[in-house]
Parts: sequence; structure tokens; C-alpha cells
Amino acid sequence: MIQKLVSILLVEDDEVDVMNVKRAFSKNNIKNELFVAGNGVEALDMLRNVINPLPKIIILDINMPKMNGIEFLKEMRADENLKNISVFVMTTSNEDSDKINAYNLNVAGYILKPLSFEKFLSSVATLKNFWSLCEM
Amino acid sequence: MEEIERNYKKELEVLKQEYEDFVYIVSHDIKTPMRAISNIATWIEDDLDPSVGGDIISNFNLLKNRVGRLESMMNGLLELSRVNRVELEFYEINIPKIISESIETLEDKENVDFLVINNLSNENVDTLGKKLTRVLNHLITNAVRFNNKEKKEVVIELNETAEAYEIKISDDGPGVPEAVKDKIFSIFYTVNSKDVVDSTGAGLAISSKILQVVGGSIKYETRDTGGSIFTFNWPKTITLKI
Amino acid sequence: MTNSNILYIDSCKTAIDDAKTALLKVEVQSNLYFSESYADAWQMLSGENTLTPAPKIVLIAINEIGSEGIELIKKIRKDANLRSLLIFVITSVHDDKNKVAALDLNIAGYFDKPFENHKISEFYTIMNDYWNIIEF
Repeated sequence: MIQKLVSILLVEDDEVDVMNVKRAFSKNNIKNELFVAGNGVEALDMLRNVINPLPKIIILDINMPKMNGIEFLKEMRADENLKNISVFVMTTSNEDSDKINAYNLNVAGYILKPLSFEKFLSSVATLKNFWSLCEM
Repeated sequence: MEEIERNYKKELEVLKQEYEDFVYIVSHDIKTPMRAISNIATWIEDDLDPSVGGDIISNFNLLKNRVGRLESMMNGLLELSRVNRVELEFYEINIPKIISESIETLEDKENVDFLVINNLSNENVDTLGKKLTRVLNHLITNAVRFNNKEKKEVVIELNETAEAYEIKISDDGPGVPEAVKDKIFSIFYTVNSKDVVDSTGAGLAISSKILQVVGGSIKYETRDTGGSIFTFNWPKTITLKI
Repeated sequence: MTNSNILYIDSCKTAIDDAKTALLKVEVQSNLYFSESYADAWQMLSGENTLTPAPKIVLIAINEIGSEGIELIKKIRKDANLRSLLIFVITSVHDDKNKVAALDLNIAGYFDKPFENHKISEFYTIMNDYWNIIEF
């Protein structure tokens, strides 16, 4: 799939974290188009009205203003057009309740944002390999 | 009387909620800018001209190391505050097995001789598995981390009575000076400066809080030949003391 | 990832042996369980031979055209205790209907089954790396 360059939607409210993902993508030579939404409401709007064709991958933060990641997931899974998109949670929240809620809404993975950029780079490299194997 | 009791209960609920919110803020809202500091430092370092002096590089390393320490301390505080949470944590574990798993994950295990003396007749126990694993991890890590010998020795002795498991972990490290013996179970206390051994000083505080919650106990003794002995009692039937 | 179980279901004995060898080589940190039939696997998930703790990761191979594997995923998703399982589908038949059905059931990934030795070992190395960066 990554060969076909499907687009990716990043739902993240922190500016530095967005820069972090962009930098890690470019260092790992990930060339897929990246859309960014600052919260759940904005992400739903982009999925319903802006991005066409729909992204196959969503990277989702949990703690965000307006509509948080879990609320966004609930809305998304209830929407016939959006419910089958793969979601990867990327968050600082190590709360068991967030993990349980996310897996109950069938995310493909729950990744803790590491402190160091080097570690983040290697997590993104692993994700890239995984995405390359996936048929989407 | 009932009125007063109701009010106290209500007040307690409010305080508990405030405390939960506080912990959540520490775990997410403060971690975000902290991670930003660490990440931006790496970007700047990355973008620097290779000709900049070694001073700048070593200061960047210091900066990142201290942010790392801040994160460990924050995680320590969080773990300590979560000791009271026991939902979903009762399951069956095999005590010798979690000990060997804990040894497996140690970084410096090549230079340590581990001796496990297993006198258990009931190795499997249905208990707060995650918490017992945490206590064992902290104690085994400490036995190795603070030991400055080239070749280290750690003895783990497993005994049981009708009511409890008694687990004894001793090492041939420097031990704890008599004068500070009572302080080692306090959060963030370290015997040496944190620059000597990079540690947070949270492990023993967390372990002793866990043992308090499950109704067990932990004590420290100095070994005759130098070194430390930590002994803890883990009740077979847990009555939570929260 | 320690202390958790992985269940792999495949009607092909050779594929199971290959997976076992490859996963042991990458030193997977979970206990591995295998099953050669969907019915037996269901017993290991929710019947008389239930694994404890319940596996968090399930790999389901689909080797024939037909919907037996998809039916198993549907059963998992309908079960309150199992619906949060992370499901990976590995298939040796190219059937778009299966793929769409599986993705609609929010599996974590849909993969072509590897056959050559070096592909098998690459596949499970990437899978294991991925399992190591996600939290449960």
C-alpha cells in the first residue's frame, strides 16, 4: 500500500508533535501525503468534506480540545463511509482506561510517544515496515 | 450524625476526583511540553554545523539527560499515585517464572551471578500479578544497579508459610549506610547523587506502598559480609488496605 | 508484551511450523499457541479450552475462498470479552470480498501469506517489531 502512496491523516493538537511526525516521516523517507487536523471535530470535517480519496491510515492523539481521540473514534466507527479506516493511536497517555477504550474501538495499535526523538524515529521506521506489508 | 457522615463522604469523593484529575494533568499536559524540549534539542543538534565545539554537544547531552530524568521522576510519581488502582489485576502467576523473566530483561545480566533458592510448594498464585511483578522488578534491578563490583552476586530466596510468601533478595553491593536506613523508602531519595548512579529513587517507595496496599511488609537489613538484604512478605489472600 | 499469549490459526500445518520457527528466532516475548481449525480456535478463545490470560493478538490464515475465517472474526467482534482482540489476517487466496469484509471488521492488518523462507522470516521480524512498539 505504501507503494501506492495512500494518504495519511494525522489528528494532533500540539504543534511540536506535528513537526515531530513530519520530521520523522522525512527522515524515514515516507512520501505519502500527510493531512493534519487539530482535533476530532476538524478531522471528521476533513474526512467528510475535504480529503478525497479517503486516507487509509489515521494517526490519532487522545488528549485534544473540542473532541478527544476516543470520542472521534466512536463517531468514526459509527459512520458507514469512515468505519473501516485503520487507526493508530499515538499518545502520551499511559492510562489503562484509554488503552481499553481504544482497543474496544478496534484500533490497529496503541503507541506511546517516547521522550526522545531517536526512539520516535525508530518507532516510525517500524510503522513504515508494517504499513508496507499491509494490503489496504 | 448521618448528615455529617454523608457530608464527609461527599467531600472525600470530591477530593478523590481532584486527585485523579491532578494525576491526569501530570501524566499528559505536563509531559507534552517536556517532550517538546527534548525533541527540539535533538532537532537543533541535528541541524548544527558539524564544526561546532564539543562543549555545545556535551551541553546538549546534559540537557537531554536532565529532561530524561524529569520524565523518569514524573513516571515514578505517576506509578506511586496509581498503586491504589487494582481493577483487572487479579490473575494467576508463577512466582519463579516472573523472577526469571525479570532477570531476563536486566541490562547488565552478563556480569551477575543469580542464585535462586526455591523452597516453594505452591509456585502458582492467584494474586495482584502486576503489582507483585513490579515489586520483584524494582528489588532485582536495585540489587544489580547500585552494585559497583565488576562481578556481582544476587541471591533470591523463596519461602512460604500458610499465610504468606516470604521473598528475600540479597546482593554483595555497597549496602545502605546505617544513618540513612530509614530514608530509603521515601520517594526520590537516593543514597548517592543522581549523577553517580542515574536513578530516580522511586522504586523502593513504590514497592513499599504496594506492600502496604496488599497488607504485606518489607524490611531492609545489612548483610554480615556487606551488601543489602531486602525481605518482603506477600500475603496469599489479599485484603486490600486502601 | 511479556506474560501475554498469541494465537495463530492456520489449516496448513507447514505454515504453522514456519511461523513457529520464525517467531522463536526473533525471540518473540509472548507465549505461542497454534490451532489447525477455526472450531478448535474458538474453543481456545471462549469454549472449554480457554487460554488464560486470553490472547491479545490473534493471527488468522485464510487459505480457501469462502468465509469461514471471516465468520470467526465476526464471532470475535460480537463477543463482549473478545471484541477488543488485535486480529491479523494472512491470506494465500486473492479474494477482494474477503479483504473488504475483514477490513470492515476493523482487523489490524491484512497480509499476503509469505512462502519463501527469507520472506517468512522478514514477515515475522516486522510483525514482532510492530508488537514490541505497541502497548496493551
